[in-house]
Amino acid sequence: MAATALSREERLERARRRKPKRQIRSTDVLAWITLALLLLFSLVPMAWMLSTSLKTQFAALQLPPEWIPSNITFEHYVRLLSPQSEVGQEFLRYFWNSIFVSSMTTLAAVAIAVPAGYAFSKFRFPGRQGFFIAVLIRNMFPAIVFLIPLFIMMRAVGLIDTHLALIITYLTFGLPLAIWLLKGFYDNIPTELEYAARIDGASRFQAFIRIIMPLSSPGIIATAIYAFIIAWNEYVYALTFLTSRELLTLPVGLQRFFDEYVTNWPGLMAASFVMSIPVVIIFLVLQKFFVQALTEGAVKS
Amino acid sequence: MAVTTPQQATGQVAIRASREPRNVFVRMYRQWADYAYIFPALFAMFFVIAYPIAYTIYLSFYSTPTAGDNVWNGLTNYTSIITAERFWMITQNTMYWTIVSTILAFIIGTGAALIAQREFIGRGLVRGIFLIPWVISHVATAYIWVWIFHSDYGLVSGMLMDLGIISSPLVILDSTTWAMPALILVNVWKDFPFIMIMMLAGLQTVPDHLIRAAKMDGASTWQQFRHVTLPHLKGVIIITLLLTIVMNLNHFTLPWIMTGGGPASTTHIWITEVYALAFRSLRFGIASAFSVVLFIIMMSMAYFYVKAMTAGDDRRR
Repeated sequence: MAATALSREERLERARRRKPKRQIRSTDVLAWITLALLLLFSLVPMAWMLSTSLKTQFAALQLPPEWIPSNITFEHYVRLLSPQSEVGQEFLRYFWNSIFVSSMTTLAAVAIAVPAGYAFSKFRFPGRQGFFIAVLIRNMFPAIVFLIPLFIMMRAVGLIDTHLALIITYLTFGLPLAIWLLKGFYDNIPTELEYAARIDGASRFQAFIRIIMPLSSPGIIATAIYAFIIAWNEYVYALTFLTSRELLTLPVGLQRFFDEYVTNWPGLMAASFVMSIPVVIIFLVLQKFFVQALTEGAVKS
Repeated sequence: MAVTTPQQATGQVAIRASREPRNVFVRMYRQWADYAYIFPALFAMFFVIAYPIAYTIYLSFYSTPTAGDNVWNGLTNYTSIITAERFWMITQNTMYWTIVSTILAFIIGTGAALIAQREFIGRGLVRGIFLIPWVISHVATAYIWVWIFHSDYGLVSGMLMDLGIISSPLVILDSTTWAMPALILVNVWKDFPFIMIMMLAGLQTVPDHLIRAAKMDGASTWQQFRHVTLPHLKGVIIITLLLTIVMNLNHFTLPWIMTGGGPASTTHIWITEVYALAFRSLRFGIASAFSVVLFIIMMSMAYFYVKAMTAGDDRRR
């Protein structure tokens, strides 16, 4: 009697253990296959860029294509990054221009978006909804539709061919989403915290700076990454607004390189690679904040 | 959801409501400090958005010779755009590009999200890798793929020849049949991570206990997805689709760099056409009219977007 009871229990136990496992398995296999395919899809072009950039110009034009170069050379990177060579000087200039424009844009975007996002989240002033809708609508408009009037406007005020023109425009591209992200973030910070600070004698502005700002730092970091990446990668406005060679940012500079050294594919791939490194690193390091911000801010109801 | 309102909107509203003056200007005056917080944003947005829109509409009624003053020509710009056969061909290209890109990116992005939300070792790394295409610049992306599609020495052509599938180099970006599909592939590669993030964010709002309850009731994985997850994601899906469609309508860099609209204008879409009209042919007037047409199309989409976006907001307030 005891033995059968035990074995039945055992059987049940086994069945219980087995069942969920088997259920998971079929979807698991599907998931792993999809994962592998997706990884391949994302990585192959990047791998090919890296592989090409390490080949000599001659080796790059060999068929069949070689995945791992037999003679690895860093000559293209050395040439791009050495201030002695002509190409290097030019490339480093573009690099510096991009860093300057992107950092300035980021600083300004954060300084403007933080108070605005906070106000949209916590204050109830007349016209708030209207402003917010205007901010959202901006998201729908193609940057390029603004290109013609902005070009004419910048030409009229003499800002064509300056970095300032780019910083101003990039700033406003990023603002709508930045404000929206931050608003979502502030929605989640209890107003009671602010009241507590106010009762302790802080002014509203002090409460905002001392209490709310530190709490929302993940949101602020996400906003900053977003603004930086937009500015770093932007192409159309840089193409249209800048004419002097020494002012070009990397995307347009890369195009210049392409026009001049069409057949030097390894060199171009090395330049593309160097150009991608900063954003990829910043993004990978701070990705957590970004995804968190989107999760907290963007999608909830 | 609606029950939580008083707690969430809290304080200021509740306190103020009791002695809030009726007159809107009095309220605006009393709350002047609130506006200080949004003023910089409004100021920037006005100069770079409101003014340009107005100016574009103004220019669209003028012909703009490169030398001399603008000349009023009424609706001529508009009629000449709409009656040209070219406009309809480019519209067709734009539809092809937008619809196929959106559908493919959406399927792949959602698949990636479903995988990236499973728990496994190295999930952070996988998410990071998926996001790389989205982060790198369009220009770098364009050149990487131009090189991959290179007809003589490119990866695609080379591999296919190596495998013996084709005997002579495959022309891709210069072929009227293959250029557009190739561009769409690149576009999907670039944009699927965006959809993945949006869907990931959406998936996290699906309450765990509902999934567990469904599981306990014996729902299969597919049933859980179909009847619990999907209804929860409806809002996110609508917003993501709208944003993706708009993004695709506005993609300039990929077609511009990779094919320049060629061969035989088969990859020209609205945006590249507007740019070419304005900055290659220097016909600002007609390009502005074209922009206004695009405005109207985008505005109608913006309407649905704002509706979808504020739907959640209203419920909370």
